[in-house]
Parts: sequence; structure tokens; C-alpha cells
Amino acid sequence: MSVSTPAGDQRRPSVVSTGKKAPAGSAKSSTSGKSATTDKSGSGSARKGTTGGGKGGGTGKGGGGKGPRKPITPVKVSQGRNWGPIALFVVVGVLAAGIVGYGAYAAFQGSRSWEDRASDISGIVNYREKDPSLTQGGQHVQGKVQYTVTPPVGGQHNQDWQNCMGDVYDAPIASEHAVHSLEHGAIWITYRPDLPKEQVDKLAAKVRGTEKMLMSPFDGLDKPISLQAWGYQLKVDNADDSRIDQFIKTLRVNASVEGPTALCAQGITATGTEPRNLQQPSTEQPMQQQGG
Amino acid sequence: MVATATSPDEATSASPGGPTRAAGRRWGTVALALAVAVGLLLGYAGGWLTPRLTRPGDTSAEAGFARDMTTHHTQAVQMALVAFKYGQDPAVTQLGVDIATGQQGEIGIMQTWLRQWQLDPTGSEPPMAWMPDGEQLMREGGLMPGMATKEEMDKLEAARGHELDVLFVTLMINHHLGGIHMVDAILDRSGNDQVTEAAQRMKNTQQGEIANMRSILSRIQ
Repeated sequence: MSVSTPAGDQRRPSVVSTGKKAPAGSAKSSTSGKSATTDKSGSGSARKGTTGGGKGGGTGKGGGGKGPRKPITPVKVSQGRNWGPIALFVVVGVLAAGIVGYGAYAAFQGSRSWEDRASDISGIVNYREKDPSLTQGGQHVQGKVQYTVTPPVGGQHNQDWQNCMGDVYDAPIASEHAVHSLEHGAIWITYRPDLPKEQVDKLAAKVRGTEKMLMSPFDGLDKPISLQAWGYQLKVDNADDSRIDQFIKTLRVNASVEGPTALCAQGITATGTEPRNLQQPSTEQPMQQQGG
Repeated sequence: MVATATSPDEATSASPGGPTRAAGRRWGTVALALAVAVGLLLGYAGGWLTPRLTRPGDTSAEAGFARDMTTHHTQAVQMALVAFKYGQDPAVTQLGVDIATGQQGEIGIMQTWLRQWQLDPTGSEPPMAWMPDGEQLMREGGLMPGMATKEEMDKLEAARGHELDVLFVTLMINHHLGGIHMVDAILDRSGNDQVTEAAQRMKNTQQGEIANMRSILSRIQ
């Protein structure tokens, strides 16, 4: 809408200037080929000139049509280039193309899939490509699972998920529960237990209060910090690394197998690396509270 | 139309100037066709682009509301599931299942907006940045207005029976009041009918529930 309106307005003046410049242009004669180019390049003015001629120039043509046609005819055809309308048309054309082009570019950029944007994160490992069978979806099993990726990013897991309502666990948790949280769309931040407290606090600030986030120390990491989403992993050295936020923004919920309404509440809130089942409230103390 | 009708006449009647003139006219017709084609293409491109360029952006109030209200609702669902599972008074367990399923459904609606707008569920700005003075309303631990603290949530999860009933209703009244505050902010700021209609429904529902919870509280306390 906004594109076609200015163009329409701009074309109109070209009609006027064509009429005005006609006598001046008659002085410079030109070949028919040249005049053809003039008409072609100024398609707007050519069209308007024709239709406008029906009214304005029409009287001149019709009135003296038979007699003085010959002298008039070369005047119309062989006029010099009307740089004004051409320039105007070119400017409008470039502007319109620019607006449409920018819009298309912006729309294209804005609609890049999260998978494409995830692959832009340097150092990220995409296990959905490396090992599709691992990340198809998880079968529920009891007991310990031997994971091939550390910390795990998918595969079999316990039926109970680790609570991922922005929970910050101060001790290692069972991967069998955490993997289930990943399947629900959570980002699991793990860190080496020797990570300085000030960095742990920075990570915790990204987690607390945000659903689909959980964090725990993890023994035996080869890097200080490792981030997991379902099928993705990124290892970094420092809590200030900007790729952490990029990873969270791109993959939180998006990487979920089960969609944005999969629960993070009603999960295991206890720490300890041994998988467990949610206890029955009638006989025992219902749910253990996380320490700290 | 005019051009095609007149040009053959003039070309035949005036033979000396004819060929040049006819060529010019033909070019005019081609140019006209080109101009129409380009105009149609531009119009099509504009029609294709407009909804893409006018939909809410990553830092819009609508996107902020959808994300933050999802977080707010998610805690309400967590609380309501506890009430449904372990509440004692039938009115409390009934309210629990109503809030849990209702708000979980609304989370699905809001997340679908974000997907339609091709935005991530995670924002690029801090929570509540879309609200005037929103960041000042945030409390420690990333809590939005009305949300229960970690200590309150731990207490709720551990409580049972009558104690749980009273605690749940008390916390949920505050939760709804904070939620309505956020709803009012988006009603003030958004002209997106899809968003404002849903926000108004949330407000109506939660105001009704507040009245019901106050009467439950006065009955059981």
C-alpha cells in the first residue's frame, strides 16, 4: 500500500513535464532508436503521455490532425530525453525496490528457524544430527542409565522429571530425571563443583524465577560450564560468555520434544545422583525439599 | 485501452510518419504492460510483507506480556496442582483443578501467539521490561508481581490438609492481584485485539476467582 501510493503520485508530474518540455525537446532531434529508449525507460511517462493526450493534446491532434500532422509528429517522437521524469521514476523505483527488498530481508531474517540460529552458536554440538536415534524421544526406564554423552542431552530416562521451575540445586542430581526435564523443553545448566561462587551466582540469576530452567553441579566435567537442551550441548569456560544467553534464548522451550505446555512442576525436587520415584504421600513424607 | 484503440488508426492514416510513430506506440503498450506487471508485483509483495512487518516484534509489549504471563501462570499451575492433589476442602480442590487447567490452557494460547509471530519463548530483554516501571516491580529471585517466593512455595508444597487450604487460597489471591496488575498494563498498551481480548478474559476470570477465594477463606479460616 505504502509502496504503490508514492509511485502513483510521482508519475503524475511526469505527464506535465512531458507536455511542457516537448517544444524545447524538438530542437534536439534524435533517431527513432533513441526515442524508443526514451519511451521505454520512462514507461510511466509514456503511458501517461498517451492517455493524457486523449484529452489535452487530443484537441491539437484532432483539430489540426490532417493538415499539420507531419510537422507535429517528429516533434512528439524526436524529443530529447526528459531527465526529470526519468530521474523521478528511477528514484521511485529504487525506493520501492529498497523498501520491498529491506522488508523481505527483515522478514526472512525474522523467520529464520531456531534450528538455523542454533547452528550459528559457535561451539554448539548438535546431537540431533550426530545421533538422531538418541534424540528421537525418550523411553521411560527404571534405575540407572548409561549415557554416551556427558552430561546427557537425550535418550532413555526415568518417568519422573526433575523439577525445572527455575530450580537451582546445590548438589548433583540424577541425570535420569534431568534428561526428562530436557524432553519437556528445559535448559539444564551444569557446572564443575570447583566453579567460583561468584560465577555460580551469575548462572543462578539466569535460572531463578524462570520456568523451564534448572541448574546443578556436575562431577567430572571437562569444562567449567556445560549447557544442555534436548539434543544440544554447549561447553564454555566462563559464566560471562555471551553464548550462554544465546543458547538459552534459542533453545529454551524451542528444543522441547513435547511442546511449551509440558510441565516442569510436579517433579523430583531432591538432589542425589541415584534416580528415585516420587514417593506416595499417604505413607511417607511427601516430597523432599531441595537443600538451600 | 486508449493507446491500443488509437494507435492502429493513426498508423494507417498517416503513412509517412507512421513506422516511427507505431514503434513508439508499441513501446508505450509494452511499457504500460510492464508498469502494470510491476505494480501488481509490488502490490503482492506489499500484501505479503505487511502482516510480517506489522506483527509484534521481539521487544514488543505483546511479546513481553505473552512471555511474562506464561511464567506467572506457570507458578499458578504449580500451586493449583498442589491444592488439587492435597487440599482438604472440596471447594479448594475444585478451585485447584479449575485454575491449573484454565491457566495451562492460557499458556498454550500465549505460546501459540509467540510461534505465530515467529518469536522465541525467551525474550532478549529482562522480564517485565515491556511494562512501565516493570523492572522495579520485580522482586528478588526473578519474581513478578504477586508471585510466591521460594520459601512460600516450599511451605505450600510441604503443607497438607487445612493448613494447605488456607495457605493456598491466601497465596493465590495475591497471585491473581499481581496478575491483574500485569493484565491492566497490556490492556493500556496494546491495540492487538487478539491479545487484549484474551487479557480481558484473564482479568474477568481472575476477578471472579478472587471473590470466590475470599468467601472460601472467610469460611474456613
